[in-house]
Amino acid sequence: MIGYIESVINGILMGSIYGLTAVGLTLIFGVMKVVNFAHGSILMVGMFAAYWFITLTGLNPYLALVVVVPLLYFFGYYMQKIVIKPIFEAEKHVREPITVIIVTTGIWYVLDNLALLVFGAEFRVAQTSVTGKMIDIAEMYFPVAKLIGAGITFLLGVYLYWFLKHSRMGKAVRATSLDREAATLMGIKQSRIYNIVFGMGCACCGVAACVLVPFYYVYPTVGVPFDIKAFVIVVLGGLGSIPGAILGGIIIGIIETVGAQFMAATWTEMLIYAFFLVVLFVKPSGLFGLRQDY
Amino acid sequence: MKFLSNVPTTHKVFAGLVLAVLYALPLFIKSPVMLQIFILIFFYAYLTSSWNFVGGFAGVLPLGHSAFVGLGAYTSTLLYLTYNISPWVGMIAGGIVAVAFGLLIGIPTLKLRGAYFALATIAFAEGLRVLVENIEKLGPFEVRGPKGLLISLVGNSFKDFQFLSKVPYYYIILTMLVLVLILTFFMMRSKVGYYLAAGGEEPEAAEALGIKVSKYKLIAMAISCFLTALGGTFYAQLVLYFYPKSIMGLDMSYEIAFIALIGGRSTILGPVLGAFLLRPVGELTRIYLGDTLPGLHLIIFGLVLIIVMRYQPRGLVEPVSKWLTAIFDRIENRRRA
Repeated sequence: MIGYIESVINGILMGSIYGLTAVGLTLIFGVMKVVNFAHGSILMVGMFAAYWFITLTGLNPYLALVVVVPLLYFFGYYMQKIVIKPIFEAEKHVREPITVIIVTTGIWYVLDNLALLVFGAEFRVAQTSVTGKMIDIAEMYFPVAKLIGAGITFLLGVYLYWFLKHSRMGKAVRATSLDREAATLMGIKQSRIYNIVFGMGCACCGVAACVLVPFYYVYPTVGVPFDIKAFVIVVLGGLGSIPGAILGGIIIGIIETVGAQFMAATWTEMLIYAFFLVVLFVKPSGLFGLRQDY
Repeated sequence: MKFLSNVPTTHKVFAGLVLAVLYALPLFIKSPVMLQIFILIFFYAYLTSSWNFVGGFAGVLPLGHSAFVGLGAYTSTLLYLTYNISPWVGMIAGGIVAVAFGLLIGIPTLKLRGAYFALATIAFAEGLRVLVENIEKLGPFEVRGPKGLLISLVGNSFKDFQFLSKVPYYYIILTMLVLVLILTFFMMRSKVGYYLAAGGEEPEAAEALGIKVSKYKLIAMAISCFLTALGGTFYAQLVLYFYPKSIMGLDMSYEIAFIALIGGRSTILGPVLGAFLLRPVGELTRIYLGDTLPGLHLIIFGLVLIIVMRYQPRGLVEPVSKWLTAIFDRIENRRRA
């Protein structure tokens, strides 16, 4: 019995980190209605940045947040401004922005393979003060790095919620996501909001990257499994919903760890896809999605 | 030939010439490596043209078409290995299986926004790949999970869809490509084609005019899945050994979509142009630089895609056809004069 509780809690810990990457994706979709397929690659960029920061300086792994998060914010900001914006503008009035989706896929290919070219295909592990450490709570063992990661995720979720609900910029973001034209008429500069939202989405990946590096391998295609999980999570939680993304992440995390108690790990992967397709059949708007969004 | 009545004579002559050259090519090219490159160009052009029925005309973005390639390959090969049924028959069976799966995934998702459809097709393709990797035995069929299927060599045999030379494969895939292009041509000029074009651009307006948009999208999906699965059987017989990652991985799905968008979605010749531009880049960098610079061809694919989408969002077929039309007009005028 205690084994099950342990695996449920471990699922929640890992799931909240999945949720964190999904939050970035859902934030961008909520405002721009664009699925950023390069999201996993941006996570990969963040993980490499955090890895090199930790390895070269030898400082506490969580200090990497101070460097990596702003770095990824500006990475996303300028990626949107230079690469995505002109294409997005061209099909602003098209109902299905397919070109933008495919362009983000192109960015994914370029980033992943550049990393392969520069860093090689090997798996790297950052040696940090929390790597491999376990903590014993009521006869259950949890990795310290995952506990810290889940804590940071929770704080970030609370901050994002406050930011969108109460800050001036957050209100502008929400206004743009509700009605682009009306927001522009109120004096909100759309293109700037898009840049900022893209930057924030990527910064979420930066946080997730710093949290993952102490206990996860770093390699050029590390983004792909996270990317596909993030797609499943955002649809599950409802595209555009932040609480939905975090809850969806936790559900996927629990399926993964609890499923592993009954079957081979490859089957739990299958289970996640099957679950995803069932949600699409039954409630395509997801757990928290708005009807208008699909 | 009523359908061809509004096509200018020069275009017909040009198309005829290109076809004649392509059909005569194996007489001049003897190197199996070169022939293989051409076969793969035609194969990808064929897959992308099949993709085009749903990705182009139905106006959505399917990103999991390798699943149908895999379904075709696995169905025909398993039937051949277990019951010794000729792959030519298995090809049709594979097509039917693919249509069944295509409808299963299409019915709930084609009603949704484009982003949902793209995500759902990815999840479906990846889910199917993981499923196949986990199955060792399915009833009488030995699926062999991640180890994949090996078709034993029996020598030249039309019934077994096996040839020692590359030339028959060249003619088979070229003919398949020509047939699918003719089908595309008829489709674009048919009622279904017009309904799809209307539904892709303005679904609400089309619905208001009484067009059941999702029904026609499903028809397009079924045609696309069927044709894609036929390509899967061809590929299986060409390489004779395949495993889930090689035939139903995401890379193939993306490459198909890349070729379509770079060439030009919802055009007849866009997929062919895209395949002729991208495939050689892939093959040549892999042959000459594969060891020193891994993944270089994928960086080139990504960059080409981003640049083309930035400056020619409808694909390269538009400027190329404008340029060709200008030449044809000049010829036509000189002929008249």
